[in-house]
Amino acid sequence: MGVTCVCQVPLAEGKSVQQTIDILHKKLEQLSAVKQGNFTVDCETYHATGNASGQPTKLLYVMHNSETPLSCLALFEGGPCLTADGNFDVLMIKLKSHFQNAKGHKVESRGSRYRYCDFLIKVGAVTMSSSARGISVEVEYCPCVVPGDCWNLMKEFMQSFLGPSIPELPSVFATKPEGLYVPADCVDTMTQYLELFSKVRKQQVLPGTTR
Amino acid sequence: MADAMNVGVNLEAFSQAINAIQALRSSVTRVFDSLKDGMKNKETLEGREKVFITEFQDNLQSVNRDLNELERLSTLVGRPSESHPLHNSGLLSLDPVQDKTPLYSQLLQAYKWSNKLQYHAGLASSLLNQQSLKRSANQMGASAKRRPKVQPSTLVLPPQYVDDVISRIGRMFPDMSIELFRPNGTSAVLLVTLGKVLKAIVVMRSLFIDRTIVRGFSENVYSEDGKVTDHATTALLHYQLPQMPDVVVRSFMTWLRSYIKLFQTPCQRCGKFLQEGLPPTWRDFRTLEAFHDTCRQ
Repeated sequence: MGVTCVCQVPLAEGKSVQQTIDILHKKLEQLSAVKQGNFTVDCETYHATGNASGQPTKLLYVMHNSETPLSCLALFEGGPCLTADGNFDVLMIKLKSHFQNAKGHKVESRGSRYRYCDFLIKVGAVTMSSSARGISVEVEYCPCVVPGDCWNLMKEFMQSFLGPSIPELPSVFATKPEGLYVPADCVDTMTQYLELFSKVRKQQVLPGTTR
Repeated sequence: MADAMNVGVNLEAFSQAINAIQALRSSVTRVFDSLKDGMKNKETLEGREKVFITEFQDNLQSVNRDLNELERLSTLVGRPSESHPLHNSGLLSLDPVQDKTPLYSQLLQAYKWSNKLQYHAGLASSLLNQQSLKRSANQMGASAKRRPKVQPSTLVLPPQYVDDVISRIGRMFPDMSIELFRPNGTSAVLLVTLGKVLKAIVVMRSLFIDRTIVRGFSENVYSEDGKVTDHATTALLHYQLPQMPDVVVRSFMTWLRSYIKLFQTPCQRCGKFLQEGLPPTWRDFRTLEAFHDTCRQ
């Protein structure tokens, strides 16, 4: 319902994914944030078949968010997006001939949801085929709907518990700094998650886990 | 004079009519008493019956007489005078049980008291507004002569005037839109939308601000009151000027407009954006600078 920022947090020195998440939880609890349950964001990839040769295969991403449990979002990277009912997954199964599910590419972020004053913070472990690949942090500031206004405020807040690793302004905001969010279908939030998941997917193996 | 004469005649006939009603009541009571007592003790049955019937006839005739008298008098009493219409509050005065529900007399007292209060408050404000540097002796003499002057009442203003003032103020501020509704009677309810930051509902009583509720742009009106609502209530208590209510409304709107940068300005005292998770929600009444609620003193 407000301005959301999704960013990836690098692992702490010599710590695993779970340990870094625990450190973040402790920092949030020190700020007297209240835990309010769990959240899940996941993304499945579909290849569009039947393209003319020479054109790169278009990838369709179908995402779900536990904030809006009854809907799902289908989008092309950088292209149009569609908000649909939960039955859209079943529809994709029916459209098997046109869109093929890339089963190994499902990425999801799962973790706990904290509330602090007007902020909603979600810290989750990003996993791809049950191997932890990184940590995602989503911060939402509910009262404000214009991203350009409250970016400094959110940066200050994120500094208080993320320390020095603060992200810069998400690219989604750069296009419309004065624009209103569209709160109902969280398109901007999911676009940010998609960017994060794509980065994680390209990052084949997590450097810390080989040790 | 003719009214007084008419009133005199009416009152005379009125008191006679009341006496006639009492006489009628007593004669009717006599009828039923004689029926209840039955026949008196006499030697023969015919004697007893005859006495009873005679008594009964006498009683009925006296009832008839009294009733005729009452009818004659009722035609003379006439209709009650309508020269003092009391409207709705006058209907309260028709309640006969004065001991248990003295509503009308209490209403009159309350009305007189509030009139006197308003008058005294006007006098007090004019005295208190004077500068303390001026020589008080001359001023007191001058105002003592002017004291009997009636203060104009700013509480009863035509709705059109209120509409005009509000629309003028709305035009003054381009990024603030004010919509006026009158859902119940003549009190105006304003919906002030400040850019994309907040919405405020301001309830007015003629041109005086009575109450405000401030909500976020996409929040439900019925959610809990936040800090800014408290500050707005403080502001409406701070900006007070009984003689010039439109100046008050303008100052209040200017103060509210300073909230357009609620999320953008850091606190003037500590320099940070957030203090315990809240942005600077306090705006100084004179300088309109932003402070955190905990930083303002």
